[in-house]
Amino acid sequence: MTVAVSRRFAGAATALAALLAITSPAQAHLIGTRLGDFYSGALHPTTDINDVVLWLALGALAGSLGAQRGRWLVILFPLGLAIGFFLTATFGLSIGGNATDAALIGTLGLLLAAGLRLPAPLLGLAGLSLAVMRGMANASGLEAVTNVPLFAAGLVCAGYATITLVMALVIAFRRAEVGRATAWRGIALRALGGWIAAIGLMMIGFTLAGPGSA
Amino acid sequence: MLSFRFAWPFSFRVGVISAPLLLLSQPALAHDQPGIAGGLLSGIMHPLTGPDHMIAMVAVGIWGAQLGAPAIWILPITFPIVMAIGGVLGILQVPLPFQEPVIALSALVLGAAVATRLKMPFGFAALIVAIFAIFHGYAHGVELPHAANPLAYGIGFVVATGLLHLCGISIGLLLRWPIGDRLIRGMGTVIALLGCYFLARSIGGIA
Repeated sequence: MTVAVSRRFAGAATALAALLAITSPAQAHLIGTRLGDFYSGALHPTTDINDVVLWLALGALAGSLGAQRGRWLVILFPLGLAIGFFLTATFGLSIGGNATDAALIGTLGLLLAAGLRLPAPLLGLAGLSLAVMRGMANASGLEAVTNVPLFAAGLVCAGYATITLVMALVIAFRRAEVGRATAWRGIALRALGGWIAAIGLMMIGFTLAGPGSA
Repeated sequence: MLSFRFAWPFSFRVGVISAPLLLLSQPALAHDQPGIAGGLLSGIMHPLTGPDHMIAMVAVGIWGAQLGAPAIWILPITFPIVMAIGGVLGILQVPLPFQEPVIALSALVLGAAVATRLKMPFGFAALIVAIFAIFHGYAHGVELPHAANPLAYGIGFVVATGLLHLCGISIGLLLRWPIGDRLIRGMGTVIALLGCYFLARSIGGIA
């Protein structure tokens, strides 16, 4: 290394060190742009593990049934979230609770584990009902200062993106083994259903009869 | 033209890079403390930190691989569901006698089955595994109500148990090779011996 290069390196390193030393936590204050509540709505489902499990389970179930049967959920799921959100934000309606969530987790898990070929209308109805309930649950924690349309838009977009991506991933996962002798991917999906069903079963016990029922 | 090479000392370069990184460090706030059921991480660690649970679950996977179809694929689908029934019994505090001895016995029996490459009708094998699954689930379920987030805790231990089965099934793939068969039987023997040790300890034979 020549003296010139080494000096350049030292200069760059010192400048980098100075820059890094003055950094502070990033705080994305998007309130001024009114996008803050949009992101709050989009991220709100991640704050409740019931949402995470139920959305993933529904996406996995719909994907396991194939694109033809599951494609209506791409529209119905976000629509259901919007309807549920609107009903609670406007009229204060609320359906479901921890026991219902646990029962839904268990049912979706059992359906996935059993590999039942649900007809498309039934899957759509189940997805819509679930979305309405989760929309209500997500609207229940609204504060007075929240911009409701932005929050709802964020929630609906998150629902659309999640259900579509999970379904697409599962369909692509299954499609890779079409025509092959070993069908381990289908078994893996059904095993995932077994895990989800187990979680739902335990939570039913916990919420109905365990200490969680108090 | 005269030129010479000059290199900054290595320690100087390390210092220049690491000093700003250290300045940026934040306190680690890890709220999962030993012995306290918290959430997802506690649930994942529960089957992994109990060696009797862990070896029994791996043995279930290996035995399933040895038995072949349909056990190899029915097992990972149904075991968690049966285990959840045991979990519910634990949540409800339903008295279940001899939990620890039966869990240790499961390691002994399943290890012996792997070591001897025991073949039996699928229904009978499923019954044996189901009985053990209830006891394993019970031990997890007892802890669940005390967790800070019971749902996350439940997800954690179900996933960890499933991954242990997967680990066993993956080990079972060694059966394709003759040496793999011997290796697996050796592992079964080790699991059975460990099961003996845990059984003796659970009934008070070993302090």
